[in-house]
Amino acid sequence: MAIAAHHRPGLIEGHDHIHAEPQGIVAKYIFSLDAKVIGVQYMIAGLLFFVISGMLAEIIRIQLLTPGGAIISADTYNAVYSLHGSGMVWMTIIPLVTGGFGNYVMPLQIGARDVAFPWLNLLAFWMFPIAGVILFSSFLVGAPDAGWTEYPPISLQGPPGTSLWCVAIFLIGISSTLTGINFLVTIFKMRAPGMTYTRMPLFCWAQLATAMLNMVATTALAGALLALFLERQFNVPFYDPGRGGSPLLWQHMFWFYSHPAVYIMILPAFGIVSEIFPTFARKPIFGYKMIAFSSIAIALLGFMVWAHHMFTSGMAPWLQLPFMILTMVIAVPTGIKIFSWMATLWGGKIEFHPAMLFAIGFLITFTFGGITGVFLAAVPTDLHEHGTYFVVAHIHYVLFGGSMFGIFAGLYYWWPKISGRMMNYRLGVVHFWLTFLSFNVTFLPMHWLGLEGMPRRVAEYRPEFQFWNDVASIGSFVLAASTLILFYNMAQSLIRGKKAPGNPWHARTLEWTISSPPPYYNFKTIPAVLKNPYDFGEPLPYFGLDPQEDEEGDGSTFAPAPHAETAERH
Amino acid sequence: MAVSSLNSSHEAVAARYESVDEVYRYTRDMRLLGFVLFLVSDVVLFSAFIFAYLYLRNSVPNWPPITKSGQQLPRFDVAFAAINSCALFGSGATMHFAMESWKHLNRSAFNLWMIATIVLGIAFLCGQGYEYQHVAISWSGSTMGATFFTLTGMHGFHVFIGIIYLITLFIQANSGVYTGSKYFGLTAGTLYWHFVDVIWVALFYLFYLM
Repeated sequence: MAIAAHHRPGLIEGHDHIHAEPQGIVAKYIFSLDAKVIGVQYMIAGLLFFVISGMLAEIIRIQLLTPGGAIISADTYNAVYSLHGSGMVWMTIIPLVTGGFGNYVMPLQIGARDVAFPWLNLLAFWMFPIAGVILFSSFLVGAPDAGWTEYPPISLQGPPGTSLWCVAIFLIGISSTLTGINFLVTIFKMRAPGMTYTRMPLFCWAQLATAMLNMVATTALAGALLALFLERQFNVPFYDPGRGGSPLLWQHMFWFYSHPAVYIMILPAFGIVSEIFPTFARKPIFGYKMIAFSSIAIALLGFMVWAHHMFTSGMAPWLQLPFMILTMVIAVPTGIKIFSWMATLWGGKIEFHPAMLFAIGFLITFTFGGITGVFLAAVPTDLHEHGTYFVVAHIHYVLFGGSMFGIFAGLYYWWPKISGRMMNYRLGVVHFWLTFLSFNVTFLPMHWLGLEGMPRRVAEYRPEFQFWNDVASIGSFVLAASTLILFYNMAQSLIRGKKAPGNPWHARTLEWTISSPPPYYNFKTIPAVLKNPYDFGEPLPYFGLDPQEDEEGDGSTFAPAPHAETAERH
Repeated sequence: MAVSSLNSSHEAVAARYESVDEVYRYTRDMRLLGFVLFLVSDVVLFSAFIFAYLYLRNSVPNWPPITKSGQQLPRFDVAFAAINSCALFGSGATMHFAMESWKHLNRSAFNLWMIATIVLGIAFLCGQGYEYQHVAISWSGSTMGATFFTLTGMHGFHVFIGIIYLITLFIQANSGVYTGSKYFGLTAGTLYWHFVDVIWVALFYLFYLM
């Protein structure tokens, strides 16, 4: 035993000691340094902003029930869709996939006790709800009304809330950057012994690629926002063409961030489904390395394609071709992932758990959105579709059908680990089918509306578009109602849900080898890792796992790896 | 000692943490990496504004731009800025010597070089304040003024933070926070100060020479 202790890095004093758990509600739940608690805080705040932004979406859909606009004025309508977009992108999806799932799951999966810089984590989290409150409080002084992209010169003339928008997005941007730095150092330096990069769970690979994007791209947005803020508040000319500035400059700076930002939103969702597919298909993931490296390829390519948002903006024409080709190149690593997931499902013993249903739904809707993305990347078709409902349909297929489906899948998957309780299986299935169907009823018609020429961001439209608009609105009401099922399911699970075992899905990544919910210190001793976690059917590739009560009694769940020395050969 | 360099044997890993110094090096490497990544993200912030400057500069036929009244704005005064830059570049050198003195356990030389660095930093800021008062353009008057004052202002803010940082380090070093083998704070401070220096090289070229 003494020898074993000597060989365990976890037991050497000074390095890997377990901190005492803080006492008191404030230290434990509000200003906690524990990445798990911070992750849950991100999720609660993110879901709250999801509800607010979702209600704004419903106002939009009610407004569009009749061609003349049903309830609000055009000015209010502008503010509503601007804050719907800003709220969903910056206050919902990005914090949920990076701060939420990243903080909770990533340190557990790499076998760490916490992130590298817990204080930085705490600081980054608290910037987020503050930014959210600032963003939505802009309704009180006149909300921004130039869309979530806030193109000048419209945003220069916008109501005072536009400056609040700048401050809010600047804050959330700094928060993202700090989280990105924190995660990069955590993944580079704090992996469990033996966890080489090619033994790392794919969710962590996705978080690694996302953290790189967050660290580099988000500060560019901070620069653009600072300039917009200075121009609005201090009359410093950057974007006003009448004073030598250039509105195109904003578009370049904004999209240099915001195109990578779509990968910030989707890469962690890729990571989530990469965990779910092998677990519920009971098969090793197909093409582990290809999925891992394609995340990095997407992140790198993501920096070289921003101007495809600007084909109709009067950008230099010779730039169109390279940006079109580079954009289409991104379909290659994305396609590698899609086909790898399909090959993982092929011949698998699939269990249609709600998490798996959402992952499969993700595969379908995201692929659909990816294909319409290629339409938009091609300059000739983009000239026709730009600024129409086709773009609205595309972005909702990749952000709702992609990122949000990934978030739902991740919630069903990790809920027992986080809460220690099981969710109702049947309600989850109902939630999926209602969401999946109503999602398509809502957003599929928008493709046709767009191709027929209905412009986006209008409070009124021509009467011939009414039928499909009404279909979309009805779909969106069902979509909102179906989300209530999820919230009900979460609530009833917390109140009277069955207690969750440590590993309810017989998954193989490290977070499932400890109890649900995990103890404050995560791992008593840091396990050593011998292989990547996806070889279903073989014993777990870990050495030195904490002893667990084997709640399911099948003995295989926490079986230690047979031979430490086999690792040498890999 | 990077975990990334580990081979697959956990015994080999454990062997690396046998002394407290190893543990210190591990956490130091972590903080160093975090600090370098922070500087990289800061470089992106400056790059965003440098891009804005070059973009706006190239979108007009003449630079310095011509105002609505038909007058071309004057160029910046290279001579004064060059002298002022010498203060900042010199402070980079003195910072380097301070660090070397610390590594050679020469505390009195360290104190001397640190004070020289802080004084030169303050001198640079004063010079910049003087230039701001005497430059012929204004912040909100033209894109030239907008980019110049925003970029050099951001840089000046970084220098200001750096001076506070160095003063803190100076006090810490003299109250026994750092030792001859454990001085991560000083390393980070040196990195930051050199970073501020390098940014100024770029800004000096872009605004005064180009």
